[in-house]
Amino acid sequence: MSKEEDTKATRRTTRSSSAAVLRDSGEIKKKCGPHIPTFNDLVFGEDNISKEDLLSNFPGRHTQILELLNLLGPLNSPMLPLFVYGGTSTGKTSVILQIFRHLNRPFVYSSCRTCYSLRTLFESILNQLLLHEKDADNGYLSAKRCEKTSDFVNSLREALVKVVKTLQGNPGKIGTKKLTGQGHGHMIYLIFDNLELVRDWDKSSSILPFLFNLHEVLNMNEVGFLFISNTSPDTYYSNMGYLDPIPVYFSEYTEDDLRKIFIRNQTNQEMYSSFLSVVLGPFYRITRHVNELSIAFSSLYKTYCEASDDLNDVPNESSKRARFSRFQPHISPALNQIFKISSPPSEVNNLKEAKRKAGSKKFGGCDSSEHLDFHMSTSAKYLLLSAFLASRNPATLDASLFDSTGGSSSRKRKKRPSEKSIEQKEICEQELLMKGPGTFPLERLLAIFQCITSVAEISLEDDQGNVAMDSQNEDSELMSDVLLQLSSLCNANFVVKGGSCPLEGSTRYRSTVSEDMALKVARSIKFPLSKYMYRR
Amino acid sequence: MAAEDLPEARAALSLLRSRLCNSSFYFKPPSDSSDSNYSKLKFIISSSVTEACNNSILLLGPRGSGKMAVLELVLQDLLLEYPDMITVIRLSGLLHCDDNGAFKEIARQLCSEYQLLFSKMASFDDNSQFMVAMLRECGLAHKTIVFVLDEFDLFAQGKQRLLYSLLDAMQSVSSQAIVIGISCRLDADQLLEKRVRSRFSHRKLLFLPPCKENVERLLEHILSLPIDSDLPHDYIIKFNAKLHNMLANERFKKVISTYLDSDSTVKQFVRYLFCAISKLNLKSGLLTVENFEHALSDTQRQPKQEYIKDCSILELYILVCMKRLEVKEQNSYNFNSVMKEYKSIHDSFRTSDYYSRSVCLRAFEHLLQRELICFADNRGHNQSIEFRPAKLLITAHELHHGLKAYRSCPSILQKLMN
Repeated sequence: MSKEEDTKATRRTTRSSSAAVLRDSGEIKKKCGPHIPTFNDLVFGEDNISKEDLLSNFPGRHTQILELLNLLGPLNSPMLPLFVYGGTSTGKTSVILQIFRHLNRPFVYSSCRTCYSLRTLFESILNQLLLHEKDADNGYLSAKRCEKTSDFVNSLREALVKVVKTLQGNPGKIGTKKLTGQGHGHMIYLIFDNLELVRDWDKSSSILPFLFNLHEVLNMNEVGFLFISNTSPDTYYSNMGYLDPIPVYFSEYTEDDLRKIFIRNQTNQEMYSSFLSVVLGPFYRITRHVNELSIAFSSLYKTYCEASDDLNDVPNESSKRARFSRFQPHISPALNQIFKISSPPSEVNNLKEAKRKAGSKKFGGCDSSEHLDFHMSTSAKYLLLSAFLASRNPATLDASLFDSTGGSSSRKRKKRPSEKSIEQKEICEQELLMKGPGTFPLERLLAIFQCITSVAEISLEDDQGNVAMDSQNEDSELMSDVLLQLSSLCNANFVVKGGSCPLEGSTRYRSTVSEDMALKVARSIKFPLSKYMYRR
Repeated sequence: MAAEDLPEARAALSLLRSRLCNSSFYFKPPSDSSDSNYSKLKFIISSSVTEACNNSILLLGPRGSGKMAVLELVLQDLLLEYPDMITVIRLSGLLHCDDNGAFKEIARQLCSEYQLLFSKMASFDDNSQFMVAMLRECGLAHKTIVFVLDEFDLFAQGKQRLLYSLLDAMQSVSSQAIVIGISCRLDADQLLEKRVRSRFSHRKLLFLPPCKENVERLLEHILSLPIDSDLPHDYIIKFNAKLHNMLANERFKKVISTYLDSDSTVKQFVRYLFCAISKLNLKSGLLTVENFEHALSDTQRQPKQEYIKDCSILELYILVCMKRLEVKEQNSYNFNSVMKEYKSIHDSFRTSDYYSRSVCLRAFEHLLQRELICFADNRGHNQSIEFRPAKLLITAHELHHGLKAYRSCPSILQKLMN
């Protein structure tokens, strides 16, 4: 009970745990003895919740819950298909599952995300209806193998008729454990979650009309259909057409709703509410997704508490103001890091840095810290830079940029910019923005890598007066595991493998590193990157 | 909770809901008028059953106009009238549009009808020969087989082998079968190949949306409670009186006609009534005009407007930037060019909402998820999001309208739109 009553901030866990409850009820019983699946498994769980609990569990969702309850109607009354839609983290799935927990009626839930193809979707529905559990005895096979829609409809009808007959046959027997006569009944509801994913499946143009028309095709009054989707009904239009299901919209939360959601399950209510009054306004302008906000707030709240640690805990007006003035500088950097997912130690670093900077400097752009917040070997850094250069510079200019003098000569031929060249430059810039980094073959990358490493050694020698022997040793060391480094860069998504070139047949690569990042890396190894960058 | 729910209201609600979900209830013709589709269809089918001849007919009309429901009513009546003379085989284009599966399904249904052994392994040839043999046998026994082909237009895809072999088998004198095609494409018969078309009798029945008088009759037919039910008598009287009051109400008539302006097929209308009924107040147990008004706004939603309304301020900025790029007639643009525009707006107006690139990218992704914008092409999956060309999925008008309706929309955005 406690898990489901969490805030919607933990919607994902709510979803998985609510699904787990379904499965758990079976599994726990199994441990104490051979579990014979019954139709009780189609109901949410043993404990149901009252309408008041349901409403209070979901602040900001009252209208939607009441509308859904109205549309689902009283016990044993048939319904038309529903189409529930709304953005992510608006509580569609959890509200519907909890409603069924409240109503205590049998349902079959299948998500098109876990059932990634038509066949798995069909089999999951049939497995649940036929009370079939995959285990070692049956070799983890499904109850029925069906790929074709026609087979599915036949077996679905068979299974549904059986289930409905059982439900009608002994309404009292199943409901014995229940508190009242409420619940069960002979309706069974099929819930399809994440329907928007079906559009990307093979043959989606025939699957979607099929799913929407399933109600008509089956023509059974005892079956209710609920479709849950991220996207609105108008994104499903197809050639075929179907009778529109009844739309139910889950809007994004308003500021007040969000405040109610975040204040739930907080130990220090007053502290948190004063925190929210500072933070929620600016963050609300950026995003309204509960899950994103909750991540941002959890770390920010810690700093807020720290900022007020030395103040006494009694919140009065003056201390509130003092706390606010201390805390305010943290907000704006946090706004710009809202979606940054960082490992805990670096997060601390960032925060400290933010603290240091906060007084002297207003925020500008993203964090412009001098040092990198990740570790990388020197050769990997060189490789990264050469990939960046290979992606950015046109291949025809490689020879002039990387000649023996280290490319500095190419910068000398500067013309006075004429009007035409400026225009051209703008067009080129536009093109760069549009096209993004170019692709390059492995050979070119290695050539550039060799060039810049040798140049780097020369410059190092100049600086430190090293002997030539050393540098040669180092050179061979740098070259030793380049391919290994490249594959790890690929894995880290700094370099992506593109499609193969149709003429040469070799794989082409593309660097995804931004210029800021590349400059930062170059600075960390004192490499004059700007010298090699071709400016149009 | 001062007033408790009335049990009779709950019972009435259940009754009305089951009526609305039962298509044969509201498609049942009020009286046996001679020119209704019901009586025409019944005449055609019954005459071919009694005269032992072959026939084919198309039922055409928009989705939800009751083609299937009327046919089911007719078949139900005829099965009672001529017991043991009619076998109905039902196929749907959605399920059986490949010839192989269709023949298998026909064989399966014939087998289950005549208690024969059905083999799943039977080949295409076996199944089609079995069907022809069954047609002959049934013809000799003076039994009619009715083939109902739902979504007829889907059977006309491909080589049309099913249609050809069905209609060809019907050319022989000994067989006795009726093929009924149901389609919402009015040009369904034009889709047929020449060899199929020449064997098809071009009889068509058109199903039209109901006229205004019929809608009124339908409303009363569906919504009024029967006198002879087991509900309390005075409640029925009260309910029906209130209903008649409402039906005569000008405001109510206007609501209904607003709804019918957008879609007027019976099933759509029934769906609307379902929404309205579900709003029935169980405490008073009576229908009100407000129920219907609320249902109107619930069923006729404008998803794009709703999604604009749900955008955060930053997301609105991005939308406006994209719209400005479109006005500038840039034929294609991507996230980078949007950011350039965003920066230039910030530089010239000094807005308070200027966020870092990664935050904007996330907002951009939210917009993609809501399908307010999308990528212009499906190519370039290995390109990162910033560089893939994007486009707006809403018109400038919709965006303008959305901004106007937005609560606390920064005035700068409105200005930038113009």
